[in-house]
Amino acid sequence: MMTTYIQVEFARHFRDGYNLVFALLLPVAMYVLFGNIPSYTDTEIGAGNVKFYLMISMAAYGAAVSTVSIAGTVATETMQGWGRQIALTKMSSASFVGSKMIVAATVAAVSAAIVFGVGALTGATVSQGWIWGVSYLVILAGAMIYACYGIGVGMIFKSESALGLASGLMVFFAFFGNVFMPLDGAMLDAARFTPMYGYVALARYPLLKDMPEGTDMAPDPMWMMATNLVLWAIIFAGFAVIATRKAKARQ
Amino acid sequence: MKAVKKSFAVRNGTVEAVKGINLQISRGEIVALLGPNGAGKTTTVDMLLGLTQPTHGSIQILGQTPHQAISAGQVSAVLQTGGLLRDMTVGETIKVIGAAHGRPERVATVMQRTDLEKIAKRKVGKCSGGEQQRIKFALALLPDPDVLILDEPTAGMDVMARRAFWQTMRGEATEGRTVIFATHYLEEAQAFAQRTVLLSQGQIVADGATEELRHLISGRTVSATFASTDDAEQSSRFDQSVAVTDVQGLRYEFNCADSDSFALALLQQYGARDIEISSPSLEDAFIKLTKDAS
Repeated sequence: MMTTYIQVEFARHFRDGYNLVFALLLPVAMYVLFGNIPSYTDTEIGAGNVKFYLMISMAAYGAAVSTVSIAGTVATETMQGWGRQIALTKMSSASFVGSKMIVAATVAAVSAAIVFGVGALTGATVSQGWIWGVSYLVILAGAMIYACYGIGVGMIFKSESALGLASGLMVFFAFFGNVFMPLDGAMLDAARFTPMYGYVALARYPLLKDMPEGTDMAPDPMWMMATNLVLWAIIFAGFAVIATRKAKARQ
Repeated sequence: MKAVKKSFAVRNGTVEAVKGINLQISRGEIVALLGPNGAGKTTTVDMLLGLTQPTHGSIQILGQTPHQAISAGQVSAVLQTGGLLRDMTVGETIKVIGAAHGRPERVATVMQRTDLEKIAKRKVGKCSGGEQQRIKFALALLPDPDVLILDEPTAGMDVMARRAFWQTMRGEATEGRTVIFATHYLEEAQAFAQRTVLLSQGQIVADGATEELRHLISGRTVSATFASTDDAEQSSRFDQSVAVTDVQGLRYEFNCADSDSFALALLQQYGARDIEISSPSLEDAFIKLTKDAS
């Protein structure tokens, strides 16, 4: 039953396109834009070059936004009474949410793959091949924590435009999470507490791991990045649970 | 299989939507839950479907809990609001729910029976209210249920669509199925249900054969203004069926069986004017029934 559901989900998303344009094309467009400024993008950084660094950033952003916008539809559809319709069948709400997560993960994977593909074609390089694969996997796995965030926002605001808001806020999180451009000083200190910081820092870790401590762009200690990611995962999960309970109680 | 049994009582909380209902419905019965908005119809239906838990009492359908009966595909429902996604096509919606019921083989049959094949590729959001209702009906038929529950299935339909809907219903859903539907249209209960349960403010005010109920609220309401109370008193003795139901100054309201001849007499013999004749509404029926009960 999940197979049919997932097939139809893909058909819907491809037909509407609206969500997918932002999820699939915006990140790669930003990579092409920022990744091809000749003055610095071929400069070496860590085990690779700046293009590789930017490629990871944009892929991570794209994967996270894809997850938010698709996972968020769980909430808006539940509010439209679709949840009740599903509740009247054999399908459990766990497999409903599970189907959505598979779709979200697939779109996130495709989104990140496009950025990586374009990166590979346009000169993003790294000295050790395994860094490609590990960075990609960290991006995918980490993106899943934003599913809870999307569901929570959707449940609270109950509308499709709420998902636009949720995705819009992701731009904000990305900016202040050191994703789009390297922050420094007080901004960077504040960034360490924002929701996307740990995620993108971990994705970049394989690239930057050998940079000596104290140099510019050197990675934070592992515990710091991991703590950020885990704490925000817990916050988002709690947020999703509370928002869902509130929404159900008002129904 | 044993008879379908349900009994539940008192739903507490800040709002008591359903204040103690005991109901037993046998297999194959067609029952209307009739009541105005806010009578507790939807809450009752939601509890029957296990979408809401009763705060007190218990519900059994075919000897199981509502949840078990739904998982087994023995009970299905047409929900009142929502329940469809606007950007899915009609065909996709039926396919998805058919798969969710684990009955993909029923999809083609149901599409054909509910006459949805022609609009299968259309998006649900572009369908008319009547078509959307037909889609929901199709979804309810997918598991081939023994018990079919409809919550105001014709809400938002025009007269023509309503008639067409009940026609399909008669053809498709009566093959030994138990049908329970909530409605606030008296005519729908009359035309389709053998038994009608009247709900008002979360309680059952009447429960019996629809035919009996119809007799209870038969007749017409006639109101008229008289020149004097004497005239009015005399007119109320016009025939046995005439009864005064309301008096406001010289304006009288009567209930009577033969409104035509009574109106003629009012004009010619009793000097009445401003005559209004109307069929009793469901509300009138409730007032009458609650009075009878007390």
